[in-house]
Amino acid sequence: MTRAMRRPLVAATGAVLLAATTAACGGGSGGDTEGDGTLSVWIMQGTNPDAEGFFDDVSAAFEEETGATLDVEFVEWGDAHNRFVTSIAGGTTPDVAETGTTWTPEFADAGALAPLDEYVDAAGIGDDLVEGLVEAGTYDEQLYGMPWYAGVRSLVYNTEMFEQAGVEPPTTWAELEDAAAGLKEEYPDKIAVAVPGDAEFTVYPWVWGAGGEVATLDGDTWTSGLDSPESQDGIGFWTGLATEGGYSSTGATTWRETDVLDAFAAGDVGMAVMGSWTPGAIVDANPDMEGKFAAVPIPGKDGGIAPSVLGGSHLSMFETAEDKDLAFTFIEMMTTGEFAQQWGEQSGYFPGQVSLLDETLESTDPLVAPFAQQFVEGGASVPVAPTYGAVQAKLTTSTMMQSILSGDADVAEASKAAAEEMTGVLNGSE
Amino acid sequence: MSTTRSGLALRPLSRTSRRSPLRQLGKGVLVALLLVFTLFPVYWMLNSSLDARAGHTSSFWPAEPTLDHYVFVLTEGGFGTFLRNSLIVALGTVVVSSVLALLASVAVARFRFRLRTQILMLVLIVQMVPLEALVIPLFVQVRDLQLLETLIGLVIVYVALALPFGIWMLRGFVAAVPVELEEAAYLDGATWGRMFWSVLLPLVAPGLVATSIFSFITAWNEFIFAMTMLGGATENYTVAIGLRSFFGVHSNDWGAIMAASTIITVPVMIFFILVQRRLASGLTAGAVKA
Amino acid sequence: MRPWLLLTPALLVLAVLLLWPLVRVFLFSLQDYGLREITTGEPNWIGTANYAEILTSPELWTVVLPNTVGFAVLSVVGTVAFGTGVAVLLASLGTFWRTVTSSAIMAAWAMPAVTGTYVWIWIFDADRGVFNDVLMGTGLLDEPTNWFTDRWSFYAIVLLNVIHHGFPFVAVTVLAGLLGVPKEMLEAAEMDGAGSFRRFFSIIVPQLRQVFAVVIILSTIWDFKVFAQVYLMPGGAGSNRSVLNLGVWSYVESFGQNRYGFGSAIAVLLTLLLLAITAIYVRTVLAEEER
Repeated sequence: MTRAMRRPLVAATGAVLLAATTAACGGGSGGDTEGDGTLSVWIMQGTNPDAEGFFDDVSAAFEEETGATLDVEFVEWGDAHNRFVTSIAGGTTPDVAETGTTWTPEFADAGALAPLDEYVDAAGIGDDLVEGLVEAGTYDEQLYGMPWYAGVRSLVYNTEMFEQAGVEPPTTWAELEDAAAGLKEEYPDKIAVAVPGDAEFTVYPWVWGAGGEVATLDGDTWTSGLDSPESQDGIGFWTGLATEGGYSSTGATTWRETDVLDAFAAGDVGMAVMGSWTPGAIVDANPDMEGKFAAVPIPGKDGGIAPSVLGGSHLSMFETAEDKDLAFTFIEMMTTGEFAQQWGEQSGYFPGQVSLLDETLESTDPLVAPFAQQFVEGGASVPVAPTYGAVQAKLTTSTMMQSILSGDADVAEASKAAAEEMTGVLNGSE
Repeated sequence: MSTTRSGLALRPLSRTSRRSPLRQLGKGVLVALLLVFTLFPVYWMLNSSLDARAGHTSSFWPAEPTLDHYVFVLTEGGFGTFLRNSLIVALGTVVVSSVLALLASVAVARFRFRLRTQILMLVLIVQMVPLEALVIPLFVQVRDLQLLETLIGLVIVYVALALPFGIWMLRGFVAAVPVELEEAAYLDGATWGRMFWSVLLPLVAPGLVATSIFSFITAWNEFIFAMTMLGGATENYTVAIGLRSFFGVHSNDWGAIMAASTIITVPVMIFFILVQRRLASGLTAGAVKA
Repeated sequence: MRPWLLLTPALLVLAVLLLWPLVRVFLFSLQDYGLREITTGEPNWIGTANYAEILTSPELWTVVLPNTVGFAVLSVVGTVAFGTGVAVLLASLGTFWRTVTSSAIMAAWAMPAVTGTYVWIWIFDADRGVFNDVLMGTGLLDEPTNWFTDRWSFYAIVLLNVIHHGFPFVAVTVLAGLLGVPKEMLEAAEMDGAGSFRRFFSIIVPQLRQVFAVVIILSTIWDFKVFAQVYLMPGGAGSNRSVLNLGVWSYVESFGQNRYGFGSAIAVLLTLLLLAITAIYVRTVLAEEER
């Protein structure tokens, strides 16, 4: 062994030191500041199975119109919020991004988004936008999220099971209960109606349908209405189907919407509250189910349609975007006209532009028309507040449902606790 | 297993009286139970990965056997690339952290200097901090180093995460080597470097193997920092990120998840099996003084 | 000079990558640091208010800490005991079976924690899980039970999961230790009439003190910080308030609500707590230093 062997060691140490120092001294700007003529965009993964092809078309059209290139990045929903936060912290935010409707007020409040009113007015499209989405995207009286697409949840049911059991799709709560009983008799081993414990948006239609409110704003203060007599009535009805009627299952106590879909696709569920985007996923999961299910709007207590949450996305512009005009050109291209319609068709969602909706409403497809009806006549929004995200993070509504469904608390106790918590969190005092 | 120590301490000393059939049977039962417990989840993972109806049935054998999930994961799922990236990152982490930890542990174990205990304590404390709290500050730091969206940046982060454990473990190994051996080498006229290379290193080698396995696993399965540091650079994604991509918005692709998990498990298993024997002797020497 | 030369590369990496971020975590903990602060980069000092809020939170003391500490104790004891038992068993096997068994153990270790968690979730699924199927099949259960809604059964499943994933590390480490115990000592003890249990506890265990110290410290740190194994379980993400542990609670209360200062404060407190708990064992290890 010679000095030649000692050298590598010293060299290694030196190299590491050198590399580290060089890296640390690296100057220049970091981040996503695009050079001239490129627009960076983040889109959520999975909404549109045909997304790549779609964006190829959009890029071509965009480049033709503006001469600028489009840089589209697909982000997983589950990690998206973290990505947004770290990118804001690190200054690597895109120019335009798809933001879930509950995120837009949150980011707007933080000052990360640029207001769009000017651009919308200039383009003259203000009146043609879906109300529910505009509401969800407005913060402090300014519009930050451009309505892009939305879906709505209605009552999806297994037509085969219904036929066999001789029941009709319900139009009132009493009918729903009867249908469930009929299904249970015919299929004792299946779930007549799925009552999931961890699916927030499947609860609110029953609250609203009974005349209750999730939360109301009075001046600057929010008050949750989950424990009002009407709300309790609704929650009681919905959970009663499981706890008293036994029409659901013990497993469903901890189910999320994905679990409901899984079970429905497997043919184990008679009816469930599911989104307008699920038919495609159901058939994907189980091709045998094709043609064996349909939808009806969620019935109100004595008839009519119970309001259901309009869940969807906005396209938002970040304050860090260098060329805001360019950014809005892209936003307009995506949310109105031909591309908006194409996206809606490919993804199974409804576009955010009213004039485009008219066509969809004419559809006779049993898996589109009921949802469309719910969308237009029974579309509602959760409280639009930057703090609503916190309520969702704490799973306030799910906690309430789970404690009722597992028998740990009755409707009165659980709803009171939930209302208190929600009021506290919405007002930022938690 | 190891031939460098005094042999199996628990082998029955008087063979005739211990090898009773009852005892053998008892051991057999225990081994069988152990194998069932240990392998049941692994078996379930494999079972589901080969079943077209994964996640929707609970049968002990694939209800609808298929290799589709594996094909999907390796082609469309992008796992070919992810495996390569993870391998680069994991091996890079192992090499760099092993070198740095070894040097540092020699310093800490062999020399007395001021702040020695404090540095050891600091190294221990760093292991206790929950990683989620570090995400944003570390992200900003890596951005400042211009290493975002690169595999090198990720390697450096993992090295930083693996170093504390490595230093701590290797410290024991180095200390376990009798000083007399080193002194003998000096008496023979060796320089420090030569002593290190031909005396210390071979004896510490098992320890290096042990700590490198830990670095490998850390880098291989880690998700949060990989996701954060790599951002949108999909060509650099690791298997951990790839696995998460099958958890969809509407429903999870359980078949793909289980196939991907199996694929993720295999390289680690191979690594383990190859270095098994060294590992055992390695881990203990690190903790026990000679 | 030499020790510092050897130390520098490692210290440099640690300092640049970890030290500064750690300092920032501490600084965040003294602020009301949310999205707005992240966007503007402007600090928002509130002193020790975060710490006060954490320490006066009733949920922390009635549910979160008891769950976390109780679980950590059970899982450390379980993992170490089980792992040691397995190590003893392994040591007494012939080469073939030892190789087979240790390979099986490696598989349990190598399986990603997330995957393992989902497998256990399926096994105990209320409607379609194997566990309920078997219980109902043998008549021990009339109706499917949801094992995730009750705190005790929930944590029993988590315990199973964590021990399954964690015992290989212990088994392998202790096995290696066992192989290093001097044969002569055991022979002498046997000649003096000591049975196997007595030999184990009076000779082997003391020899393995350092091994056990290392294993216990690491297991404690890891089991305290358990997050995914609880979060991914049905109801474990916050909708079942009775099963909250420190990892999930801190995530929901801080990062889930964009309260990064609050989350940082929890991180600092957790580190101090772990330091306090492992102090005894750390002293054992460091005491050997001063030889």
